[in-house]
Amino acid sequence: MNALVIDFALVWESLPAMLNGLWTTMLVTIIVLVLGLIFCIPLTLARMSSNRVFALPAAFFVMFFRGAPLLILLYLVYYGFGQIEALRDGPLWFIFGSAFACAVIGLTLNHLAFMVDVVRGSLEAVPAGLSEASNSLGIAPRDTFRYIQLPLAMRYGIKAYQNEVVMLTKGTAVISVITIIDLTAVANEVFERTYDPFTPMLTVAAFYWVLVNVMRLGFRRLESHLNRHHAAEDARRNEKPVKTIGSLLFHPSSWLKAKRSMLVARKEHAL
Amino acid sequence: MEISSAEFWGYVRQIGGGAVVTMQLFVAGFSLALALGTVIGIITLSRNVVIQAVWRVYSSIIMGVPSLLVIFLLYYGGSAILTGLFGMSRSIDVTPFGAGLTALTIVYAAYVAELLHGAVRNLPKGQFEACAALNLSAFRAWRHVILPQVARLAFPGLVNIWLIVLKDTPLVSLAGLNDLVANAKIAAGATNEPFVFFIAASLFFIVFSALTMPLAARIEVRFNRGLARVNT
Repeated sequence: MNALVIDFALVWESLPAMLNGLWTTMLVTIIVLVLGLIFCIPLTLARMSSNRVFALPAAFFVMFFRGAPLLILLYLVYYGFGQIEALRDGPLWFIFGSAFACAVIGLTLNHLAFMVDVVRGSLEAVPAGLSEASNSLGIAPRDTFRYIQLPLAMRYGIKAYQNEVVMLTKGTAVISVITIIDLTAVANEVFERTYDPFTPMLTVAAFYWVLVNVMRLGFRRLESHLNRHHAAEDARRNEKPVKTIGSLLFHPSSWLKAKRSMLVARKEHAL
Repeated sequence: MEISSAEFWGYVRQIGGGAVVTMQLFVAGFSLALALGTVIGIITLSRNVVIQAVWRVYSSIIMGVPSLLVIFLLYYGGSAILTGLFGMSRSIDVTPFGAGLTALTIVYAAYVAELLHGAVRNLPKGQFEACAALNLSAFRAWRHVILPQVARLAFPGLVNIWLIVLKDTPLVSLAGLNDLVANAKIAAGATNEPFVFFIAASLFFIVFSALTMPLAARIEVRFNRGLARVNT
């Protein structure tokens, strides 16, 4: 038996199931991302608040859901919700009782805890002088936040956000343990049916790889769009040959390099 | 369901045994990833085309694929890979621990190597030029000049990887390892008390990482002692 060969007939046969799994994985990821974006700003403001009534619970939230492994969180939500009688007898049980909702809740709690630090880090990176200046111009604090701090923080934080999104996408592989048929679950199913150790795992790995790299490319586009006013200066600063798409795709560290020079440029601008 | 305290402590002892397995896997996995990643990182600084191509493919795959898949691949396909690599006629059994350890090592070695590249790039060029000017051999240059500084620069990132590996270790229970999480799940199912056991299990991870943070801070201070301000 040649051990390291992919059985393409099996790949073709299991393709529909895998595409279904991919759709589930993407759906969960997108829902969690949207929920994360909705809730991260109020939670971060609570965390940064000088009022302890808000700051302490938010700090505990972040500590617990950041520190606990995702697998345990999913078990906790999935097996734990059924134990809460108010929830089980309540009108919303059709939501909390489904495995899909449990996966979304578990992932969102974890994702939110990381998002708080991402948002906080980028908000703190906005030079204090800017908000002071806008204060002294008589701009209301709310408008200062919306029109000055938030747009800048988005530019500063996009790299960290990209890392978190990629981590979340890869983390969704775990939701197969609470009976959700995502990409990893499909691979396991095919393995258990055929006992082919390589074909399903490698095919699914390829799907994940493409998904993650499409996201990275998207973030790259978004970042160059957000930083478009620096484009001319950046080009002048690092007069290097333009990288081809191929080399970018294959080497994440080349992106890091690009990011770093951008970061340096950014710092100088801030000064 | 009410459980007697004897029964409860029995489960706690079992979970404690699982925690030992988890810690062994975590410490072994992190140490091997650190060692292998450092070696890979140094080798892949070379500009050799073949080395660069292999490194790019390896790091891109590892960073684009969930570690859970790598664990499954090595667990299901481990004995076939070993037979294929060494051409042994009899099949070798791959334990969940072995597969998990190999997977954690392979995955996080890539992250350590990437971290080392970043740290070396941040090192002033003069350090390398000075080594060349003093005619230090490559080994001595790395051992006495470059690596100590790289360790200082890479340490915060290494603490990050330490925490990520800690949170990835329970994934190996899905390959059948009888670790902390697997035992907590058994206890939760048998007693119908999921909150008690799963919160206890997550607190174990949280407390462990909280305990290592002061240690990390002290090590960082020590690494930075050459740059510290003079106490006046």
